[in-house]
Amino acid sequence: MTQMMDKKRIWHANWSLILFTLLLVGIGLANLYSACAIRLEDGITFRPFYQRQLGFVGIGLGCMVLGMMFDYRKLEHLALPLFILSVILLLLVPLIGREAGGAQRWIPLGFINLQPSELAKIGVMILGAKMLAASRTSLGWKKFFTVLGMGLVPVVLVFAQPDLGTAIIILMILGGMIIFRGLKPPLVKVGIIFILLSPLLIWQVIYPNLKPYQQQRIKSFVDPSAASRDAMFQRNQALIAIGSGQGWGKGWMDGPQNNLHFIREKHTDYAIAVFGEERGFAGSVALVTLFCLFLYSIHATAREAKDRFGSMLCVGVFFYFFWQILINIGMVAGMMPVVGVPLPFFSHGGTAMVVNFSLLGIVLSVSMRRFVFKSA
Amino acid sequence: MRIELEPEGYQPPRMGLLILQGFVLLLFCLLVLRLWYLQILRGDYYERQAHSNRWKDAQIYANRGLILDDNGVILAENSPAYSLALIRESCPDIPQTLAGVSRLTGIPFSVIERNFNKARAVSKQSFAPLILAPSIGFEQLARVESQQQNLPGVTILSRQRRYYTQGHLFAHVLGYVSIASDADHKKFPELSIGDTVGKQGLEVVLEDRLRGIKGLNAFEVDVYGRQLVKAVEHKPRGGENIRLSLDADLQRAAMAALGDNAGCVVVMEPDTGRLRALVTAPSYDNNIITANSGPEWAKLLANPRHPLHNRVIQSVYPPGSVWKLPMANMLLAMGVEQSESVHCSGETKLGNRIFRCWKKGGHGRMNMTRALVESCDVYFYLMCERAGIDRITAFASASGFGKLTGIDLPYEKAGQVPGRELKRRTFPKDPTWHTGETYNTSIGQGLTLVTPVQMAVYVSSLLNGGKLFKPLLVDDDGPVIRGMAPSTDSQRKFIVEAMRRTVEDRGGTARRVVRSDAIMGGKTGTAQVVKIGDVRLRAEEMQYEHRDHAWMVSWGIKDDKKYVVVVMVEHGGGGSSVAGPVSAAVYDHLFGSNRTGRPGQKEAANVLAVAGQTPGQAGPDGPDSAYVTEALKAAEAWGR
Repeated sequence: MTQMMDKKRIWHANWSLILFTLLLVGIGLANLYSACAIRLEDGITFRPFYQRQLGFVGIGLGCMVLGMMFDYRKLEHLALPLFILSVILLLLVPLIGREAGGAQRWIPLGFINLQPSELAKIGVMILGAKMLAASRTSLGWKKFFTVLGMGLVPVVLVFAQPDLGTAIIILMILGGMIIFRGLKPPLVKVGIIFILLSPLLIWQVIYPNLKPYQQQRIKSFVDPSAASRDAMFQRNQALIAIGSGQGWGKGWMDGPQNNLHFIREKHTDYAIAVFGEERGFAGSVALVTLFCLFLYSIHATAREAKDRFGSMLCVGVFFYFFWQILINIGMVAGMMPVVGVPLPFFSHGGTAMVVNFSLLGIVLSVSMRRFVFKSA
Repeated sequence: MRIELEPEGYQPPRMGLLILQGFVLLLFCLLVLRLWYLQILRGDYYERQAHSNRWKDAQIYANRGLILDDNGVILAENSPAYSLALIRESCPDIPQTLAGVSRLTGIPFSVIERNFNKARAVSKQSFAPLILAPSIGFEQLARVESQQQNLPGVTILSRQRRYYTQGHLFAHVLGYVSIASDADHKKFPELSIGDTVGKQGLEVVLEDRLRGIKGLNAFEVDVYGRQLVKAVEHKPRGGENIRLSLDADLQRAAMAALGDNAGCVVVMEPDTGRLRALVTAPSYDNNIITANSGPEWAKLLANPRHPLHNRVIQSVYPPGSVWKLPMANMLLAMGVEQSESVHCSGETKLGNRIFRCWKKGGHGRMNMTRALVESCDVYFYLMCERAGIDRITAFASASGFGKLTGIDLPYEKAGQVPGRELKRRTFPKDPTWHTGETYNTSIGQGLTLVTPVQMAVYVSSLLNGGKLFKPLLVDDDGPVIRGMAPSTDSQRKFIVEAMRRTVEDRGGTARRVVRSDAIMGGKTGTAQVVKIGDVRLRAEEMQYEHRDHAWMVSWGIKDDKKYVVVVMVEHGGGGSSVAGPVSAAVYDHLFGSNRTGRPGQKEAANVLAVAGQTPGQAGPDGPDSAYVTEALKAAEAWGR
C-alpha cells in the first residue's frame, strides 16, 4: 500500500523543475569544461575542476533523490535542533575555525570542511518556514520581530566571521519569506519608511563596522576610481568578456578572454562571464530565461503545496536561489558591488552543489506530497 | 480500492505569490536589459577592448647601417650589448628588487632608482621592460643571471650597440650615437625610450639613412603576458650601409705622421672634392661614449688639448703665408704684372711702424713668383696696400673663405675674412680700418681666420678650373660645386706653377715634399699666435701655447692620381720644418715611399695640365675693375 502510494507520488513530482534543473546542470557543466581550458604555447590544457564538478553533480543528484523520499513534514521537528546546532557551530568557528582569505569560515571535519554559515542559511530557512507557517494571517509586530530576531542571531555571528555576503543572503532569504507571508498594513507602512531610510542606516551603522576590504568593495562600486588595480582589472575583464560576446558569442571553448585567462575566478564566481563571452546575447538571454523558468517552477510548488509549512519551505528555497542568481550575475555584469556569491549549477563547488540539490529535493518532496491520500 | 485526492484546504497568500512572480519578472527584465546594454549596445566597444587586451605589439630593432671606408673596411658596426630591465607586473617588491640589482651590479641604488623612475614616467604598460642599467659588462651580466630567480621581474635585454672598429682614428668623422634625449624624441617620434640616435659626426648627419625602420611583431598574449601567437606585421628594415670616400690606411698613416702633435691633415681629390683622409689630433675613442662611461667622458671634456674638438672644421687659425696664394691671385686679377718687382730689405715702414719680413736682412728684389716661392712678406705688404682692404675682403670671400664649405659634419665653423665691417663689429672702440691692418691681412695674420678644410677646398680650386667643391665624405655622393673661385685659368696656372717652384726651387719653402716620381706643388705658412716682438724666438724657446701654427698646403700629381694635402700643426713652429715632414709622410703613403729629394724632370706642359688648361689658350687677364665686380658678385652668390 505504502509502496504503491510512493510510486504514484513520483508522478506528482514537479517534473518541470527537474527538467529545468537538469538543463541548467548540463549547461553549467559544459560551461565549466570550457572555463577550465587554458591556452598555452603548445595548445590547450585543462584544469580538473569540471571532472570534480561532475562528481559533485552525482552526489548532488543522490541527495536530491534522498530529499524527495524524505517526508518534508519531518523537517518541522528537526527545525529547532538544526538551528541550534548551526548557532553552536557558528560560535565555535572563532575557536576551532580555519581561516580563508582573512576570515574564519571553515571547521575542518577531516573528510569535509564544514561551512557553518551554509548550515545556518538552511537552519534559518527551515525554522523560519516553521515559525511563519504557524501564522494563518499576515504578520503583526510581535510575530515579525520574533521571526526577525531568530534570524538575526546567526546573521550577526556570520557577519562577525566576517562574511558579509552570506549574512546579507540569510537576511534576504528570511526577508523574502516574511514578505511572502505578508505583513499587516501598519508594518507595511513602517517597512516602506524603513526601506526609504535604509541608505542612511547602511551608511551610518553598517558601513563603519565593515572590514576595510569590504568597505573597499563598496567604495569601488560607488566610485570605480577608488578601486584597487586588481579589483578594477577583475571587474573590467569580466565586463569585456561579456560585452565582447556580442550577439552570438565567440563559440564554445573559443572565448579568448576565457582561455587566455583574462577572466579571473572564471571557474567559480565569474563563470557566467565565460558563458556570456562564448554564447553571446542570444545564449545569455536563453540562460536567464531558463533560470527564471526554474524559479517559476519552485514558485509553482509553493503555490500548490498542501500545507503552509511546505509552501513556506518552497518560498525559502525560491529566495535561496533567487538572491544567488541576482547577486552573482548582477556582480559579474557590473551592476552590484563584488560579493563572493556563486552561481548555482555554474560555479565549481561541492558544498554548494550538494546543498542546491538537497534543497531541490525538499521542493520536490513538497510537490510529491501535495495531495492528501484517503483510503476508501 | 479507491484513492481520493483532496487538498487540505491550504490557500497560499495571493499577494505573496504575485510578489514571487514579480520578482522573477524583475530578475528577467533587469538581467536581459543589462546584457542587451553590454553585448548589443556596447558590444563593439568591448570587442575592441578584448582585442587590444591580448594583441600586443613588440618592436623589432632594425640594425643601424654600417659605415665602411672606401676599401670596404668596416668603421662602425653593431655588436651585442646587455642591459638590465624590470617588468613591473612580474615584480612583487620593486624597491627591494632595485636594491638587489644595485647590490649585484655595483651600480649605486640612487642611479638605478633614477633610471627606473625616468622610464616609469613614460611607460604605461605594466609588462613593458623599464631599463634599470643601460649597459652592463659581462661580469655583471653573469652575476645577475645567476641570481635571476631571486629577482622576479628583472630581465636581461640584449640589444645592438654601436662599435667603432677604428676607435680614435675616425672618432671625429663618425661621431657617435647615444641614448635619445627629449629633443630627439620630439624630432623623431618613431624613436622609443632607450633608443640610441646619432649625436655627433656622420652618425648625426646621416641619421635618417643609417637608422633603418623598426619592424613590428604582434603577439597574442595571455593575462600574464605569456606570448602565444606571434605574427610579424612588418619586418624590420636595416639602415643603409654607407661607404665613405675616406681611406682607413691613409687616415692611419696621416695620424701617425702627426705623432703627438695637435693638428690636422686633410687629403682631398681636387677634381671631385672627395676627401681621402680627415685627421684631427689628439683624438678620442668614441666607443667610450656608446659604452656610457661617464668618468671617461668627463676626462675628455677636461683635457686641455681638447680631444673632442674636430680641428679640421671646428678650429679656425690664421693662415699665415698660405694666405699669399689667394692674395697673389687677387693681385693678378687687379692687373699687377707678374714681373713687377719690389725690393725687400727685411722690413718696411708704415708711418712710424716697422713691418718685418720673416727673413732677416730681406730677400732683395722680388717679383710675384719669387715672392711666392720664398714667401716674401714685404712684397705682399706693399702690393696689398695698393689693392686695399675692400678688394681683399671681396676676393677672399669669393674664394670661399669666411663661409661654410658644407661638409657633412655638424658644427662646422666659417672662419672670417678681414674687412671694414668685421673690424667695426669686432672692435667697436676702434672701428676704423688702418692700413697696418691691411699689411697684417696680406700675410694671413690679424683678423684672418680659416679652417683647414676651407684651405683644402681653395687649393683644390687652383687645380680643377676654379670649382669650389663641397668636401665629400660619402662615397656615392656626386660632386657638388658650391661656387667658383674668382680666378682665370692663366691666373691659376701662374699660382700652380709658383707652388711647383716653391717645392722644387732652391730657396723654395716647401722643399720638404719634393719627390722624383711626382709633380709636387706647395706653400707653407707659419701663423703667429702671439704678436711678434722685436726679437724673434725660435720655436723651442717659446712656451707651447705661444708657438706658431705650422701650415703646409700642397698638391701632388702622379700618373692619374691627384691629391691636395693640407697639414696644420697647432703650435708646431715653422710651417716648413714641422708641417713639411707630415705632408711628405702622407705623400709617401699616397704615392709610395720613393723619395730621392730631387724634383722630377717634367715638361712644363704637365704643370699646365695641372692647372686644368693647355698652353697657348691662356687668355689675357681681364681689367681690374671688372674683375673686382665679378668677384663681388661671386661672393654674393656664394653667400646665399
